[in-house]
Amino acid sequence: MAESVEDGVRKVVVKVLKVKPESIRPESRFAADLGAESIQSVELVAAFEEEFDITMDEDAALGVETFGEAVTFISRCIEEQHGA
Amino acid sequence: MNAERPPSHAAPSPRPLQDVGQPNLFEDIFSHSSVPRIRFEGLIREEIDGRIVTFDPAQAVSADIHVTDTTFRDGQQARPPYTVEQIARLYEMLSRLGGPRGVIRQTEFFLYTRKDREALDRCRALGRRYPEITGWIRADDGDFRLVKEAGLQETGMLTSCSDYHIFLKMRKNRRQAMDDYLRLAAKAIEHGIRPRCHLEDVTRADVDGFVVPFVQGLVALSEQAPEPLRAKVRLCDTMGFGLTYPGAALPRSIPKLIHRMIHDAGVPPARLEWHGHNDFHKVHVNAATCWIYGAHAVNGSLLGFGERTGNPPLEGAVIEYVGLKGASCGADLRVITEIADYFRTEVGAHVPPNYPFVGSEFTVTRAGIHADGLRRDERIYNIFDTGALLNRPPRVAITDKSGVDGVVLWVNDYLGLKGADALNKIRVHKIARWVADQYAEGRTSAISDAELAEQVRVHLPEYAPKA
Repeated sequence: MAESVEDGVRKVVVKVLKVKPESIRPESRFAADLGAESIQSVELVAAFEEEFDITMDEDAALGVETFGEAVTFISRCIEEQHGA
Repeated sequence: MNAERPPSHAAPSPRPLQDVGQPNLFEDIFSHSSVPRIRFEGLIREEIDGRIVTFDPAQAVSADIHVTDTTFRDGQQARPPYTVEQIARLYEMLSRLGGPRGVIRQTEFFLYTRKDREALDRCRALGRRYPEITGWIRADDGDFRLVKEAGLQETGMLTSCSDYHIFLKMRKNRRQAMDDYLRLAAKAIEHGIRPRCHLEDVTRADVDGFVVPFVQGLVALSEQAPEPLRAKVRLCDTMGFGLTYPGAALPRSIPKLIHRMIHDAGVPPARLEWHGHNDFHKVHVNAATCWIYGAHAVNGSLLGFGERTGNPPLEGAVIEYVGLKGASCGADLRVITEIADYFRTEVGAHVPPNYPFVGSEFTVTRAGIHADGLRRDERIYNIFDTGALLNRPPRVAITDKSGVDGVVLWVNDYLGLKGADALNKIRVHKIARWVADQYAEGRTSAISDAELAEQVRVHLPEYAPKA
């Protein structure tokens, strides 16, 4: 069964930020709640691009604050770049 | 009492926010393609002897203000002597920096040794009109002969003014000092040489009790001579005591000193010059202030080399000049970088890395947030287009404070990628991670360019220059 976007985003967050999957909620903020440092925010974006084979606008991607927003943002990128 | 101050009970009038659609970048002042303009609004008012005296700075800078050089005199007193070759090379660069209209109008030479005279001959053989070469002597009969034999039209001579010098150093009284100085100035004129009287320690002198009477004597003496022989007056702030602050008292007040010289002693502004020292970190602004209050000449030394703390940095004075005039007037600011490189590589001088306009790192930023600003628009964190005007584009040096913003700026600069071709932060994250790990492991030094180039080769091989 194909992995959902949310599962893929969670997998990347766990790997890059080294947090437990159960600590991640839709409203979790990458910096304030999950402890992402500046460089890790960029590493997250790079890992999302690799995981979903997409490219993201740097400023827009780095402006995403929460896990839930990231899922929405990445879903839109996938749709725009690979179709529904 | 300031009559224009509002009554203390008056509430300030509200100023509504002007929520503009386009940024106001004040490009008439900060054009980026030139040195920022120095503009004035109205007159400067200074209370002198109980009267309000006005100065018009805009009119002052529209006059024939200029820079004079003491690299080979005061500058050489502060360091091991230059070789003849070095003097000739520096003179040639000074000439190009100041340009054909003489922004750098004169430079002064010692004349005492065979080497001094050889250097003079080498420079004159270049055939440059500017900077004109003048002499500097202790001033006795033999010295005047040296000036004459060298074919110079003008020489500086010591006329120390403070009682520290007159009483404590020369063991004279004021009458003896003044008579000696006037006699020597007259002798210079007799020899067909324009005397430039260096009023040593003038910011610690009794201005009304000695300086003005002496300079009035000089002016009277000069009135009997043709213009090219009339005495010039150099105000020497020997210990760096000069102050620009409005309301400051004599003898330290620069505005009042200039006013005394022009209005009380009768010195024409064209024959009035300032020579400062940096003992209180005021050397550059003190010099520029003299232009604003009416003196035409500011004396400086390349990179500020001069006795103790140094003189006004000549290259800084030229940049100030361009900012005041709003035009280069023929000065070629790119030569400043050439001169600094020459000092570092050929003269072996130490130039502090953070020294304005010439230090190896004066356009280098380390803070990531500044690097991010530079990447978005160079104008945010570069004083002007230093790449075009000085051949010194902004750069970033990578430390633990640089972050991904610093790394991406460095990488794009290194690879020459601009605009749409420039890489973004996402593309360089592996290099940024390598940098972060270096400091996490305890590194305390900056990352070198060679190390970063190697990381580009490893992580961005498709962009890396081919070996």
